[in-house]
Amino acid sequence: MQLFPAMFWITFFLLIPLGILVIYSFWEMVGTRLIPVWDLHNYVDVFTRIKGMYIRLFFKSLAISALVTVGSIALAYPVAYFVSLRIEKYKYTWLILLMGPYLVCWVILVLGWKMVIGYSGLLNYLAQLLGLISEPMSWMWNNWWAVVFILIMGWAPWLVFPMFVSLEKIDRSLLEAAADLGAKPMKRFLRITLPLSSPGLLVATFFVLIPTFGEFVTPALAGGSKGVMYGNAIDYSFTAMMAWPFGSALSIFLMIISLVVATILIRIVGLEKLMESL
Amino acid sequence: MFRCIFRDIGEKGFKFYFFLFIAIIYLPLVLLVIFSFNNSILMGFPWRGFTLKWWEQFLHNPTALGVVKNSFIVASVAAVVSTASGLLAAFVLVRHIFRGKNLITYSIVLPMLFPAIVVGISILIFLRSVLNINLSLFTIMIGHILFALPYVTLILMARLIGFDRSLEEAAYDLGADEFTTFRKITLPLIMPGIFVALFIAFTISLEDVVIAHFLAGAQSTIPVFVYGQLRRWSGLPMVMAISAFMIMIMAVLLIISLISARRGY
Repeated sequence: MQLFPAMFWITFFLLIPLGILVIYSFWEMVGTRLIPVWDLHNYVDVFTRIKGMYIRLFFKSLAISALVTVGSIALAYPVAYFVSLRIEKYKYTWLILLMGPYLVCWVILVLGWKMVIGYSGLLNYLAQLLGLISEPMSWMWNNWWAVVFILIMGWAPWLVFPMFVSLEKIDRSLLEAAADLGAKPMKRFLRITLPLSSPGLLVATFFVLIPTFGEFVTPALAGGSKGVMYGNAIDYSFTAMMAWPFGSALSIFLMIISLVVATILIRIVGLEKLMESL
Repeated sequence: MFRCIFRDIGEKGFKFYFFLFIAIIYLPLVLLVIFSFNNSILMGFPWRGFTLKWWEQFLHNPTALGVVKNSFIVASVAAVVSTASGLLAAFVLVRHIFRGKNLITYSIVLPMLFPAIVVGISILIFLRSVLNINLSLFTIMIGHILFALPYVTLILMARLIGFDRSLEEAAYDLGADEFTTFRKITLPLIMPGIFVALFIAFTISLEDVVIAHFLAGAQSTIPVFVYGQLRRWSGLPMVMAISAFMIMIMAVLLIISLISARRGY
């Protein structure tokens, strides 16, 4: 009975809509009318349309997501390590301060980064002021590097938190014992700290990988024509092209990969760990 | 001795990296706020003097103000409804053992496992083609309630797992009925958790652009409005004022969470 409200939202606005998405992926759309044809032509289209551009986009987005995941974790891990093992007072104050930029919506964050790396951004301005370049550097904006860079910088602050949680759990006496037995700092880190903080790394992966794969806002604003991602293709087919069945088929691939990643990570880490990190 | 010097450099480097990290992640936001006062039609460097023009445009633009109001209405409703639904579910899931419990837990977590774009479009096609409902603020609320639900439920479940039930048992032993126990013991103890959940749901709704992008009708929220403006590259400097306004709201939310963290929430 008490489960009713939550299950109402889940059933009516997630499970049933997802079911309809699956059904539509087998249909056809003529104008604004949906026709039940029940065949696989949308799935075939995903592989063949525009010389397989969509499937290439799929793998490109997968590569971008992997790069963003590795990059943002690499940037955030030392910060989490510093807060957990070096700062003694006001740890949580620093943590909340680190979370700050994540509270701002992506669109505004992208606009902010445009002020730094865009054509009339800080870096181009400084470089011109110092006489290093005569014209704004065009390689910094409107390509997929800009997208990757912004996504990494946007996710990194948020990832400090799950990694901090697992670093805090490490029994400090283990490190002391290792030091007493003569282990050097590097060895202590590689043999104790890193393995014991791996649940945090996995939770962080989970937090970044899935949303990044469906990303379309950052590429639309900072990627130009070269930085398009899979999410943009889905967005276009629903908002601009009015090709719902094809868009549904595209989304099914996205759903499958998200579910695979999520299942693997939840199997390894468990829902409890995910809960602690929120 | 050399090793000591190296270690010292290492430690200093750590500290340097930490503060550099904080400076860099705040740099774009600080620049946005500063340049929302820049007297230039172009968004960006160089600085051409101070002006309140863009802020005046923003504060006199009925569309922009309406959008701000919409954002707060949607975020408040989404926060309250998702927290209430999540709280009820969390109680059952933590305190009772029943068949299919895992299935229900996972289905509540499900919206978190998909990219927001999938949640957005599936609700869109369901509302438009099956229920034939026109898009409005109400449809954005539905999307946000659903998207915030897993976060809220997990947070409240974590609080309830750490809850000392002997306090409730003591109340029962002393003759309190179920409702009194809930009101006098349970509710005050989980109140901090409820505040955290409300805060998170409110923030999720306020900053979401993906779901609102698909579910917004004529009335939109701040992120969708800014996204639309940026895509069309028109009316730009005013967008900077709106963005600066959003950043200031973020700062207020941040200060609220800092104060509550000090109080030990």
